[in-house]
Amino acid sequence: MKMEILERDENSLRLRIGGTNAAFMNALRRIILSEVPSMAVDDVVIIENSSTIQDEFLAHRIGLMPLKTDLDTYNLPENCICKSEFGCNLCRASLILDVEAEDHTITVYSGEFKSENPATIPVSGKIPIVKLAPEQKVRLEAYARLGKGEDHARWQPVSMCAYKFRPIVKVDSKHCDLCGACVEICPKNVLLKAGNKVEIKNSDNCTLCQDCMDICKKTPKAVEVVWDENSFIFSLESTGALSPERILSEALNILDGKLKDFLEQFAGKENEK
Amino acid sequence: MIIPVRCFTCGKVIGDKWEDFAQRVKEGDDAGKVLDDLGLTRYCCRRMLLSHVEIIDEIIKFYEVGRKQQIGPP
Ligand SMILES: [Zn+2]
Ligand SMILES: [Zn+2]
Repeated sequence: MKMEILERDENSLRLRIGGTNAAFMNALRRIILSEVPSMAVDDVVIIENSSTIQDEFLAHRIGLMPLKTDLDTYNLPENCICKSEFGCNLCRASLILDVEAEDHTITVYSGEFKSENPATIPVSGKIPIVKLAPEQKVRLEAYARLGKGEDHARWQPVSMCAYKFRPIVKVDSKHCDLCGACVEICPKNVLLKAGNKVEIKNSDNCTLCQDCMDICKKTPKAVEVVWDENSFIFSLESTGALSPERILSEALNILDGKLKDFLEQFAGKENEK
Repeated sequence: MIIPVRCFTCGKVIGDKWEDFAQRVKEGDDAGKVLDDLGLTRYCCRRMLLSHVEIIDEIIKFYEVGRKQQIGPP
């Protein structure tokens, strides 16, 4: 397997992965979406809420804000040593919100939560949670815990995770009459007309729509889009709860664990015979 | 009513981008360009901001007025 980083910024990662197959890529994608744990608010105790927004609406909004996740400190509640329904310091973090509008209307942001663990705070402090008219008040305590995307989307560590076959765009300059129709129709600007030939600018951006092939009047076609079924473009966009690298390595560890478990069970069955 | 925290379709956080977006569009910037600047590349996230109306601002006016006239909210 060969890997190359195409793009990397704060919360997203784009890789070119060669020498593998769709089954592996899909396993990786599905584990990232549904099994990599991250932190989110699960329980909200509302002490006072005189805002225009109902308690359940408020709790839902609080649940959806992504929290910075420290996977090395916290345990999944089902694996925690405390075995308690309410949780302990190793599987739960509490956040407190206590706001009151005095003489003018205010917006309450996610940054106003006070966390018992300074590492477990909302990823963005600028998410509006509620607006309060003068004399309205919100007091609540929220309990965050680790969870998985398969239980609820708020625990999904990514807002996008997808792969596609690596596109290969070919231009036959001997056949091409330079009509330029393919350059114009491409939605991703993969092709470029430079001087007396059509050049390929960035084939990785191709969506495999084949519009360029359909519009080419030549027979055989002067432009051809094919794909390599053993090579992929993999993109991942984190919500900010975990770094993209951590999400990927965590997913690979989970896949590894599943395969080991499978192998052990298989060996057990072999021995029974 | 109030800007959703996340995109309904993909789950990207868009709530924190609303105030910037509303402010800049009000100042006359092109909405499409502002969305590009905010890093919203997918059309699911773009429609979240484009089609949003902050109704809570209208509702809150009743509570502001109610207080001035010493009439509590119902
Ligand atoms: Zn515990
Ligand atoms: Zn979206």
